[in-house]
Amino acid sequence: MLEISELHKRFAGGPDAPDGKLALDGIGFAVRPGEMYGFVGANGAGKTTTMRIVMGVLQADSGSVSWQGRPLGYEDRRRFGYMPEERGLYQKMRVAEQIEYFGRLHGMSAAVAKKATEDLMERLGVAERRNDPVQALSLGNQQRVQLAVALVHDPEVLVLDEPFSGLDPIAVDALATALQERCAGGVPVIFSSHQLELVERLCDSVGIVSAGRMVATGTVADLRSAGNDTLRVVVRNPAQGWADGLPGTVTVSGDRHILRTTYGDDQEILRRAVKAGHVEHFGHERPTLTEIFKEAVA
Amino acid sequence: MNGLMLVARREIVTQVRTKAFVIGLLITAALVAAISFAPKLFGGPESYALGTVDSQRLPLEAAAPDAEFTWRAFPDEAAAKQAVLAGDVDAVLVGGTKVLTDGKIDDQLGVLLQSVNREAKLGAAGVSIPPLQVVSVGADTRYQAARTGLATVLVIVLFMMLIGQATMVAMGVVEEKGSRIVEILLATLRPWQLLGGKIVGLGVVGLINLVTILAVGLAASMASGISADFPPGMPGLVAGVLVWFVLGYAFFATLAGAFASLVSRQEEVNSVLTPLIMVIMVSYFVSFFATRDPTGTLATVTSYVPPFSSMIMPVRMAAAEVPLWQAGLSMAAMVVAVLAALAFGAKVYQRAVLRTGARVKLGDVVRAR
Repeated sequence: MLEISELHKRFAGGPDAPDGKLALDGIGFAVRPGEMYGFVGANGAGKTTTMRIVMGVLQADSGSVSWQGRPLGYEDRRRFGYMPEERGLYQKMRVAEQIEYFGRLHGMSAAVAKKATEDLMERLGVAERRNDPVQALSLGNQQRVQLAVALVHDPEVLVLDEPFSGLDPIAVDALATALQERCAGGVPVIFSSHQLELVERLCDSVGIVSAGRMVATGTVADLRSAGNDTLRVVVRNPAQGWADGLPGTVTVSGDRHILRTTYGDDQEILRRAVKAGHVEHFGHERPTLTEIFKEAVA
Repeated sequence: MNGLMLVARREIVTQVRTKAFVIGLLITAALVAAISFAPKLFGGPESYALGTVDSQRLPLEAAAPDAEFTWRAFPDEAAAKQAVLAGDVDAVLVGGTKVLTDGKIDDQLGVLLQSVNREAKLGAAGVSIPPLQVVSVGADTRYQAARTGLATVLVIVLFMMLIGQATMVAMGVVEEKGSRIVEILLATLRPWQLLGGKIVGLGVVGLINLVTILAVGLAASMASGISADFPPGMPGLVAGVLVWFVLGYAFFATLAGAFASLVSRQEEVNSVLTPLIMVIMVSYFVSFFATRDPTGTLATVTSYVPPFSSMIMPVRMAAAEVPLWQAGLSMAAMVVAVLAALAFGAKVYQRAVLRTGARVKLGDVVRAR
């Protein structure tokens, strides 16, 4: 299990901000083996800083990161896979050589790195570009190579900062499949994203971060059931003013009236709707991650 | 293979495979070869084409063994005149009493003809004059011209190599910092491994260049024959140059890498490297001066002061004899300076290379915890 607890980080200030900027104010969460953990939050909330601290690229002022019960060390991190937010590859280096080079930096022998590189290029669909310099590739393909660099050494843990940003839907699916495969193999995967529908679809657990603090964390199902349900009623051709005095809001779309509310007597609402017209839909709906997120960071 | 060697290998492979490297190496080799043959083409031994009309050839070869003479006989003075005017011959001896030339006679040839003619006539009259014996009471200056020439070539080569390779290290550091690839690298490597590997790798590339220059230079000198003028102790000098290059490169490249880690864009590299380039320039100018005056106070004193010594001492060694203890002392001081540069450079690099964005102030980095 990867445990992150009570991370604090303040960046040194300049003349205009002598106290510096508080980036992390007690971030903590845990990711189990085989769990896909979505890390969401507004820009500047502290996602990237947290990931950099996990990867040892940045030092926390206080707090700890542990892996399998022990404090995370340099040798452990060499077995992690990392994709930083700002993509970095050697632009003039050839695709295959680049992936292989990173495999070797992670401690693989030349032969094993070569084999792993071949497999990955095949799976990610960049095999025919193996001898091209990275700068000759499209953005989507560069992203695939970037992912290959993070995956080549068969990492024990994956830490990916905005892996889906800038990808077309097909590339998103390819990347999602690759991550799910790793997860199925027992690898904990943490990734940050602004695409909440995607997070909701892929992740087992989610952490919402705002201004350096965790405002919500848990499984997607738990978060959704903990939030207030929304009652949604759709009535066709109702009598005018049928909803007067009922809670919530009514929107009109053609001859359909849609009532949404988070409080009130649902049975009373149903009775009024049946009397008013043809009820097409009546049901409680759990909030989407987007709604939870907006509520949490508000 | 550990991280540092992997990084170094990548640098070497990446550089050596570029067209710029291969073309650069070929041009340098051609240039060095040309320089080695130049004295032969321009200076070379003197050669004269001479003619005779009704007279004996003068034994000029005995008086000037280095020069070449070709003789031809003309049937009459008119034919000889024509040949002189056409430039076919430099001078024609007529009847053993006069010399035809086109305008003023070549100074050396004139003196040579007169004195050999005088000697021949006197010899015929039975008078023999023993030649004057020349005894030098000063230092052995036979190799001075060659030493000065070697030292001059050396200054230029060392200067270009140091500036070139140190700049490459700086560009490489900024490439990694600017593209943020350094974040992935530092998740698998220690900062000193990354900087060290880059310095070692590009240093090997520099040595490939330098060894090529020295090898082509020496081979061409032997082929052209000017190596006969080289002072004794050439192998020692070549070894010294290589060691001094390694020391100077280690010093300047480490600092270049460290300073470059303060900035995130290639355009800013020049401005952070300026102080370092200035130091190399000063070393260059003093070294150039030292080629003319290798035993002067300026050259002697600065040849002990690192990092200036890394260029000035090898130049002094080429331009004049330097006692071994002096070279050793200077080298020891430089090694200490290199170690200090490595410690300082690694610290700056480690603290600055992940701080992307605006230029990081050196003071902030040094003062930081």
